[in-house]
Amino acid sequence: MSEAVRIEDVSKKFRLYHERNQTLKSAIMRRRRSVHEDFWALQDVSFSVPQGSTFGLIGSNGSGKSTLLKCLAKIYWPDKGSIAYDGRMAALLEVGSGFHHELSGRENIYLNGSILGMSKKEIDRKFDEIIDFSGVEKFIDQPVKNYSSGMYVRLGFSVAISVQPDILIVDEVLAVGDAEFQEKCFAKFRDYREQGRTVVLVSHSMGSVRAMCDQVAWLNKGHIMQVGETASTIAAYEKSLDLGR
Amino acid sequence: MNYIKELLASRELLVNLTLREVKGKYRRTIFGQLWSLANPLAAMLVYTFVFSFIFQIRPDKGDPSGLNIFALWLLCGLLPWLFFSNVLSLGVSSLVSNAALIQKVYFSRVVLPLSQVAARAFTWLFEMGVLVVALAIVGSFVWPWLPLVLVVMLLLALFAAGVALALAVMNVYFRDTEHFLTIILQIWMYLTPIIYPISLVETQSHNVGGIFGTPITVLDLYSLNPMVHFVQVFRELLYDNRWPSGDAMLACVLWAIGSFTLGLIIFRRNEKGLAEAL
Ligand SMILES: Nc1ncnc2c1ncn2[C@@H]1O[C@H](COP(=O)(O)OP(=O)(O)OP(=O)(O)O)[C@@H](O)[C@H]1O
Ligand SMILES: [Mg+2]
Repeated sequence: MSEAVRIEDVSKKFRLYHERNQTLKSAIMRRRRSVHEDFWALQDVSFSVPQGSTFGLIGSNGSGKSTLLKCLAKIYWPDKGSIAYDGRMAALLEVGSGFHHELSGRENIYLNGSILGMSKKEIDRKFDEIIDFSGVEKFIDQPVKNYSSGMYVRLGFSVAISVQPDILIVDEVLAVGDAEFQEKCFAKFRDYREQGRTVVLVSHSMGSVRAMCDQVAWLNKGHIMQVGETASTIAAYEKSLDLGR
Repeated sequence: MNYIKELLASRELLVNLTLREVKGKYRRTIFGQLWSLANPLAAMLVYTFVFSFIFQIRPDKGDPSGLNIFALWLLCGLLPWLFFSNVLSLGVSSLVSNAALIQKVYFSRVVLPLSQVAARAFTWLFEMGVLVVALAIVGSFVWPWLPLVLVVMLLLALFAAGVALALAVMNVYFRDTEHFLTIILQIWMYLTPIIYPISLVETQSHNVGGIFGTPITVLDLYSLNPMVHFVQVFRELLYDNRWPSGDAMLACVLWAIGSFTLGLIIFRRNEKGLAEAL
């Protein structure tokens, strides 16, 4: 099977400022004495994701999962290493982040769709499908500030998956949706897999990971601990949690 | 070249963000787009009262148009200035205020400041349209000059966009930029011949002569301000109805190209680090 994403020796460094105020004064002070330290959120992370598979990323809070996804999504640029992928990529790091509160759901679909790289024609074509999947049809002409957080997520998610990316990146965003919607999403992921699309997802719910993922990578403090088959990787991760207790 | 391609690819997003600005701005107001005229009109009334009535500033008659109306003469310079200053003050915070978006979605970031430029250009076009109608009513024969006016408007938009791009990036690293800019714009306006004719500066410059014995005059320094040339060209076209002087036109072209290129380069250099720095 060919690779959809290939991550090689990726390291990402953040600067931790002890006193971060972005002013000219502090810039001048900083010149004299550096007041930051480097923090490596990711160190030499390497793995590849086979095309058409669903890939899970697990690990405790602060282990660097979101950072890795942001590197994949071209929001951060790794300090070392390289990331290569094939095809169109869409990331769902926070659903509905492109929404404008005063605008209606309808207007936001167009706005958000174009932020995600769709043309107007494409959105027109998928419009009904988007509304259908989101289930917020009745409120589509209301400003989104009046939406419940679940509705917000539903609409955002529906727009994002309508992009039909070859690679979909999902970070822990489905937790807000209700059981019915989650089931819908899982079904969508299964469709994706059948169509040969790749999904990379982060989740703290081992149940969903087990149910959906073909392979899993376990991150701990920026290092890859284990990559491979779902059951054994989760078992290793859970074991490490038990030992810690 | 790749960058140009990327820009072209995101033009649809640029349009949508611009529409978001334009539509969102006057939403739920009764007068809607008319509000955009309120600010220049109020400024026009105040400046006309203070500078024409109290200070008795008398700009030269329009040549060859023969116009002699301070308020219209003022607007020919004021509207371009207000556009410029609005682009800068909205553009400077365009990245910081969209931090959430930048940190969550990948797209060509340059559309954020550019959509501000486009949204302001839209209102400016509307204002200029009203001005042209007013000029025509009082007997200025502006119609043949309109194509050239549009060209100069485009040049000013490019110039403003370049400055806004650089400022937006700078504001991410130093949040002081925004506050500095407010003061700078105030000073800048008075250093541009908007509410007084440049002939007053020429006279004074002539009286003073070379500064400290050098052949450099006050006027030379004064002309370093690119807005001096833009305002001059707009007045020559709209108020005087004649060909703009070659020097001023050349200065506008050079400033526009220089600023836009430099702005894009600065933006491109820093684009990748934005999500972290915000
Ligand atoms: N912009 C940033 N500046 C400085 N440090 C950061 C930044 N973003 C993340 N970090 C640090 O990098 C580490 C990894 O964060 P990350 O968000 O990737 O964790 P995570 O695995 O997604 O955790 P969670 O399960 O809580 O979502 C954390 O220690 C965090 O403090
Ligand atoms: Mg996270």
